[in-house]
Amino acid sequence: MMEIAINILIILIKILVILIIALGIGAYLTLVERKVAAHIQRRPGPMVVGWHGLLQPIADGVKLITKEDLFPRYGNRFLYNLALIMALVPAVLVFAVVPFGPTIEIGGREIKPILTDVNVGILLVFGLGSLAVYAIALAGWASNSKYALIGSMRKAGIIISYEVAITFAVMGPLMLAGTLSTFEIVQAQIDQKLWYFWIQPVAFVVYMFSLLAETGRVPFDIQEAEAELVTGFTVEYGGIKFGLFPLVEWYVEVLTLSAIAVVLFFGGWSPINIPFLGFVDPLFFLGPFAPFVWFVLKVALLLLFVLWLHWTLPRYRIDQITAIAWKVMLPLALLNLVITAVIAPLIWR
Amino acid sequence: MVKRVFQRPLNIIERILFIDFIKGLTVTLKQAFRRTITTHYPYEKLTPPKRFRGFLGHKVIDGREPQPAFNEWVERMKIEVRPGHSRCVVCLLCKRACPVPQLFEIEPEKLPNGKRVIGVFNMNLMLCTFCGLCVDACPVDCLFNSDIHETASYSRKDAILDLKALEEIGRDWQRRREKEEDKIWSDDEHRQRLWYENDVSIR
Repeated sequence: MMEIAINILIILIKILVILIIALGIGAYLTLVERKVAAHIQRRPGPMVVGWHGLLQPIADGVKLITKEDLFPRYGNRFLYNLALIMALVPAVLVFAVVPFGPTIEIGGREIKPILTDVNVGILLVFGLGSLAVYAIALAGWASNSKYALIGSMRKAGIIISYEVAITFAVMGPLMLAGTLSTFEIVQAQIDQKLWYFWIQPVAFVVYMFSLLAETGRVPFDIQEAEAELVTGFTVEYGGIKFGLFPLVEWYVEVLTLSAIAVVLFFGGWSPINIPFLGFVDPLFFLGPFAPFVWFVLKVALLLLFVLWLHWTLPRYRIDQITAIAWKVMLPLALLNLVITAVIAPLIWR
Repeated sequence: MVKRVFQRPLNIIERILFIDFIKGLTVTLKQAFRRTITTHYPYEKLTPPKRFRGFLGHKVIDGREPQPAFNEWVERMKIEVRPGHSRCVVCLLCKRACPVPQLFEIEPEKLPNGKRVIGVFNMNLMLCTFCGLCVDACPVDCLFNSDIHETASYSRKDAILDLKALEEIGRDWQRRREKEEDKIWSDDEHRQRLWYENDVSIR
């Protein structure tokens, strides 16, 4: 009985930590994005609220929460609110299978820093990722607006194209690791002394393209295309509901998919890898915290790379986006799959 | 039919290695670490050029009036010269030049010795387009555009400049910028000089 209570307590603490990470960091990523965008355009960005605008996300949140909650006439109120929940929940749920570090011991008890180490973790990630399209389609349809509907249709088209490509892209690392559990994929990379990025660069490129497409980042931000569609499917949302959609789509989803990319291609919490030889750890002095720092560092770098791309590239047209998905990315992913299948036994040894 | 003027197709290496992506990314990375070029407006203010057309003002008599025009106009309009007060000779040429003449309200004041001075000079800046025609028309270099451009106010009444406000703007201008070299554009050094010297309080 005591054992069960302690286990539940541990799980509750994990959930709390993950929620704080997902939503708190997500909110602060708005500031990071604004700062990165500003400096790329040679502006300083938010400077007034707090030191260098550090309290800006809190000010924005307070402002959005205290705003009036408007609802479009002739909209569908149930689906309108459901869309928000369906956007938020799957995006945060993905964090349940993100491993933050190796198994640690606290008070003689082994704790994995992952909420649920299910043995189909990656499947769960992409299942939940596909759910996001429902949220967007519902948001566009329920708000009874042409702009919103066009935006959500574009997004649905993109996601359907890139779901296929991303699934075949992650098949390569999965084949090399021989498991679907995120925790064990990282463990396999440490055991084989190999980040899968070194022999799966094609899969990584396909994955990055799909990441940008699924999260609606430039160069695939056609669903919100502020010059044509105002803000796409969020056009009829107001107040904190409007704040949550970009938070989920641009920050939480990018965060989760970057974390999954780090798990699949960059060996999760492992230090810098020299292929087949071992690991070099310049952060050894951090002791037991080093793996966590490595994980956070890799995710942060990948995220900054996404932001950097966002503020550099122009936007593709919808036909170019789907053409890239079906004509380039999918054949590349399949080809990569075949090559991986041939060389996989060499890696397994 | 759109005619393509020039489009070099990417070669295979450029396609595989995303060379054009990398070119763009290096440009933005270079810019990201350079100094920002912004002015933090409510906290820092740049000095406008001398020919900037902001709020209007009346220059006061300080011995630097354009001669002999000023003396001729004083004689013609029978004006009492009072040093330290407006140069206005009540000729109404500014009102005549103005595209919206009703924004001016100009009346002379008769003194017991038979001479006149300017008594009422109200300008309703809500009608003003800051075109500067009245400034060009002024024969005695009295009316002028200053560099004060923060014209927001809480009440419509505040948009009407009376003689006292106009003279105050004029004194402030003559103290700060009268002797400055007249340049159409400002060099960086000039623009970087902050605007804090301006201490005029109109309302």
